[in-house]
Amino acid sequence: MIEIRDFSYRFSGSERYALRDVNLDIAAGEFVVLTGPSGCGKSTLALALGGFLFNQYNGEATGNIRVAGMDVRQSPVYDVAEVVGLVQQNPEAQFCTLTVQDEIAFGLENRCLPRAEILERMAWALNVVDAHHLKDRELATLSGGEKQRIAVAAMLAARPQVLIFDEPTSNMDPTATAHIFDVIARIREMENITVIVIEHKVAYLRRFAPRWLQMQSGQLSAISGQPSAFSHQPVVREPNSEIQNLKSAAPLLKTEKLAAGYNGHTVLHDVSVEIGPGEFVAVMGDNGSGKTTFLQCLLGLLKPSEGHVEVTGQDTRATPVSKLAQRAAYVFQNPDHQLFAETVWQEATLAPRNFGVWNKKTEALATTLLDEAGLGQRHDDHPYRLSYGEKRRLNLAAMLTYTPSLLLLDEILIGQDPDNAARLLEWLQARVAGGSSAVLINHAPDIAQHYATRLLFFKAGKLTIDAPIDQGFAQLARLGYTAYLPYSGNGNDG
Amino acid sequence: MQRITYQPGDSFLHHLHPLVKLAWLVGSTAALFAIQQPAGVLSVLFLAAIAFPLNALKIHRVRGLRLFAFTALLLFLTQLFFASTDTPLLQFGPLRITEAGITRGIYVAGRLLSVVLLGYLFVLTTEPNDLGYALMWAGLPYRYGFMLITALRLVPLFEREAQTVYQAQLARGIAYDARGFAWSGLKRFFTLARQFFLPLLVSAMSKVDALAVSMEGRSFGKYPRRTFLREVAFTRRDGVALGVLALAIAGVIAVRWFGG
Repeated sequence: MIEIRDFSYRFSGSERYALRDVNLDIAAGEFVVLTGPSGCGKSTLALALGGFLFNQYNGEATGNIRVAGMDVRQSPVYDVAEVVGLVQQNPEAQFCTLTVQDEIAFGLENRCLPRAEILERMAWALNVVDAHHLKDRELATLSGGEKQRIAVAAMLAARPQVLIFDEPTSNMDPTATAHIFDVIARIREMENITVIVIEHKVAYLRRFAPRWLQMQSGQLSAISGQPSAFSHQPVVREPNSEIQNLKSAAPLLKTEKLAAGYNGHTVLHDVSVEIGPGEFVAVMGDNGSGKTTFLQCLLGLLKPSEGHVEVTGQDTRATPVSKLAQRAAYVFQNPDHQLFAETVWQEATLAPRNFGVWNKKTEALATTLLDEAGLGQRHDDHPYRLSYGEKRRLNLAAMLTYTPSLLLLDEILIGQDPDNAARLLEWLQARVAGGSSAVLINHAPDIAQHYATRLLFFKAGKLTIDAPIDQGFAQLARLGYTAYLPYSGNGNDG
Repeated sequence: MQRITYQPGDSFLHHLHPLVKLAWLVGSTAALFAIQQPAGVLSVLFLAAIAFPLNALKIHRVRGLRLFAFTALLLFLTQLFFASTDTPLLQFGPLRITEAGITRGIYVAGRLLSVVLLGYLFVLTTEPNDLGYALMWAGLPYRYGFMLITALRLVPLFEREAQTVYQAQLARGIAYDARGFAWSGLKRFFTLARQFFLPLLVSAMSKVDALAVSMEGRSFGKYPRRTFLREVAFTRRDGVALGVLALAIAGVIAVRWFGG
């Protein structure tokens, strides 16, 4: 079905080859999983197979790619699209219309199929992704998991022979992730469809007994047996007597009967928590359960509609965010939304300058932090030239330069491969050991179990669990949230 | 205040076909400028105004209306006082009010306000997406139709991202929300503008990349024409609305060119 011979590719303006001497044969009906660190060329390979590389991007290609006998390099994308369907990472970015029906019909209308056939295929595709009940909805009203299922249905409806999933669950909570993998399982059972899944969450994929491939710096290799999952040993948490002492001091953060929402619609109800120094708090719950709303309240980005929030003793209603921010750092989901300066060095030192704490000490700290982030040689580069993982580390370094006592982190591990994720987490842990506190929204139970000391679990805007980490997971198990339990055969590993 | 955008509802106008509403908008605007009687202009204005409560639209809550009403009033007064050349009805010192002045004031202000209200009626009751598809059905090349639909999809996305970038800047101590910030100087203003728009631009470009892959990967542009799942159903209601429009326009033409 797929035949790649000595294929190399380099994006224009780049010295590095994104793909190097790739050779690969995939038979019809095979199920292939492709793993590898962020930025290793996995997505580039997907773009090559779909023919996009040779139409949308100006780059330098050598070698051959044939899919279903077609020379992909010489064919227009819409011909390759008859054979290859690509489901991208972010469902929202790949929608071309505004409603579920228009979206699934889009590709079929472009192929000039008659209305009756469009309806028939739509019903079939919705059935495969278990989304028949969403048929009359507008896309904007769907949850992330529902959106991704519609994106899959839109691809399936074209009846491709090859279906590629490029990290289809990276923005999803454990419940939605499990659902998407069930959909992939159903597609797997269909005959004559070749499936390629690009994923970091390898544990979810073991049950498919796939053929494993690994990519590293643009080169492809087969993995015999199974790849290791999240390979970092649990960190032993010894009670630190100094931190114990700190805990008896005033809490860094306190919310009392906090309620908040948007446009008069209350998302968060009655949340009361206190977080002291030296705590590493994992915040979990389905998308839409109020986790981000909670985090935004902690910095005053959102003001409470009822109750109140205090950050190091300051009421968020009475203090400007730009002032609170000196005590509480907030790192947002998408690294690109928070890079403002023209060089890595300016970026790392922007905040201490704004806060008026720029001095020899913070300058030395910024240098150390950039070294720790592996950016010691990159001070003069533009932040947007960094890789995804490097940008993330820069975001974090830029926060640590003014030593805030509270670190608020909104799903900062999305799209990070296990090595990058571990590096960030160990860095955070060192700060926590130094008496700061971290509040991390994340979807990977294993990470929460390895690194956090406390679990906050949100359900429909209410804080349903607030407990030390191990007890927290025990409660989740009792309540039947299996998707949220650390990997023990059910397949969550980050 | 409501934004000037589609408001979901179940009224007569909501159920009218987008193209019929478009015909009404264009037809009544043309009629407004053909009508030569102040009473005619006032009747159109009156009809447009009562269409709001009849279709469960809250006219007083729509953003921008007060600004337009104020502009109309200003225009009316200017015309009233400065376009008066015939015998005055009333005179206050140098200010003369004449019949011609009143007529011109009604023309200018009434037409402006009527066009604004008709536009509001159209925008508040027409789902832009439906309009896009209806226009493509009526013969607009689908590449242009999807430009509209893509814009509709991306604008709220960019709005949300702009909000995030703003928040991320506050979190890094850029004191937009502190007192005295507005006076921090022009140079700083440009630096901040660049720091604000660069992240948005980078993120917009990656969104557009993903969208292009998605559209091409689903054979967009393969043929000069395409089929549509949506069927355009004209109801009796649409027929009646078109009939009434035709009669009204015929009436205006009759009065304007053949009447007294």
